[in-house]
Amino acid sequence: MRRLAYLIKEALTNIRLNRTTTLIAVATTAFTLACFGVFLLLYVNLRGMVGSLQDDIKVIVYLHDNLAQQSILEIQHRIKAEPEVASLAYVSKEQAMADFRTQFPAESHLLQGLGENPLPASFVVTLVPRFRSSDAVKRWSDRLRSVPEVAQVQYSRDWIENLAVVVVYLELVAVAVGAILSAASVTIIANTIRLTLYARREEIEIMKLIGATGAFIKIPYLLEGTVLGALGATLALIILKAGFEFFKQQLGQPGRFLGIESGFTFFSNQVSLLIVLAGLSLGFVGSFVSLLGYGRVKV
Amino acid sequence: MIQLFHVTKYYDRRPALFDINLQIDKGEFVLLMGPSGAGKTTLLKLLFCAEQPDEGQILVQQRNVARIRPWEVPYLRRRMGFVFQDFRLLPKKTVFENVALPLLVQGVSSFDARRKVMEVLKAAGIDHKKESRPPLLSAGEQQRVCIARAIVNGPFVLLADEPTGNMDPDLSSEIIELFKTINARGTTVVVATHNRQVVEQVNRRVVTLAQGRLASDDRPASDERVGQ
Repeated sequence: MRRLAYLIKEALTNIRLNRTTTLIAVATTAFTLACFGVFLLLYVNLRGMVGSLQDDIKVIVYLHDNLAQQSILEIQHRIKAEPEVASLAYVSKEQAMADFRTQFPAESHLLQGLGENPLPASFVVTLVPRFRSSDAVKRWSDRLRSVPEVAQVQYSRDWIENLAVVVVYLELVAVAVGAILSAASVTIIANTIRLTLYARREEIEIMKLIGATGAFIKIPYLLEGTVLGALGATLALIILKAGFEFFKQQLGQPGRFLGIESGFTFFSNQVSLLIVLAGLSLGFVGSFVSLLGYGRVKV
Repeated sequence: MIQLFHVTKYYDRRPALFDINLQIDKGEFVLLMGPSGAGKTTLLKLLFCAEQPDEGQILVQQRNVARIRPWEVPYLRRRMGFVFQDFRLLPKKTVFENVALPLLVQGVSSFDARRKVMEVLKAAGIDHKKESRPPLLSAGEQQRVCIARAIVNGPFVLLADEPTGNMDPDLSSEIIELFKTINARGTTVVVATHNRQVVEQVNRRVVTLAQGRLASDDRPASDERVGQ
């Protein structure tokens, strides 16, 4: 217990004595981790967005005008009976008009003066999850187009699929950038610890001479690197959070992307904790790397 | 207790020590004499496992340190004490903390460490400076702290490399008296020195090295060994 207290005290003393190098190491680590964090944040949000869009995919089946109520009911039963269909809702011409007015109040005057309602009646169809792939949606839509009462079938599958591909690429970029920046963080921390080792080489030599084991000598430096990594990661999270809130506030201003900012989310507590743990691990690895060479010094 | 058999050590293909055979018994006080470059420090380094011999064997308490594995070295050093000419004290730690360090690395409890440290500080006559830091102490005081640190573990042997190197005769004499006291309590003492005054003051076995070879091994008629 006394030894552990001593080792922790030594690590904190190292940090205190090398304030400037510690500060530089923490700031640089924070900056590199924040750069990686930006990619991660973008990736997490886009993936979330794609996921919710994929869950929300709907096919709109527009009907010809002037269909008899009976025909509409028949076609509703027919669509409902399809194995691909999870649910469907009928939107009458009047309902379509009311929806348009609600969604686009400023443009509602465009439809005035047309005399009759130009908007068609439709079915909004939700497919079962296993039929939500691009091919399945296309196959089903093509089949439905051959039904005489159906005027048009619309779905937004393709661009969602494209977005999913972008997300996959972003994932690859995030991994590559993460690997490069992690290596940079490890190097920075390793150099900081190396400087500390150099500054305290005489002390280390004395410790060896009085019978301190390699572990006893090295643990404070490993702790120091770990603390630097954790502090860097925490600072990176603070920077990211501040940047994220600023970005969200800018997006939320009137006249910009209305409502889009509510879809953006910051890292969950678990992910934040993982980032701190990652920083901590990078710090440990950095110290370990710098100590590898030092352990061979003979006293 | 310490035996060297045909020990040779080279530095840059030149022998720093050549074919040394030596035996040091328990409780002896041995002075290693010789001019600078004679191999005194190399011999102490070999005993302390800071170097390995290129040829020959070294037995320390029946353990062949010529074949010791690196991880075993700290454990052997904990049973030995070493005094340096340049003291090698940690400048930012107090005298008390410096002396307590060997006990700390062994995990000795605070209570026992305090008791032992105070005991050796008193024996070394430096207990009144326990809260001072080494840079504020005189050379003689720093050497006393170094000696206290070397004996705090109760080592079986105390090795000293030119412990009076930078001291005036009076101070040197005081330090040698301290070594004699430690030896009188049963600890084997090996002191490397080129100071003739020390030889006269100690009046014990003198091993002389010259150009890495054992030149002479003289025991005065009145040599008294503790523990024999």
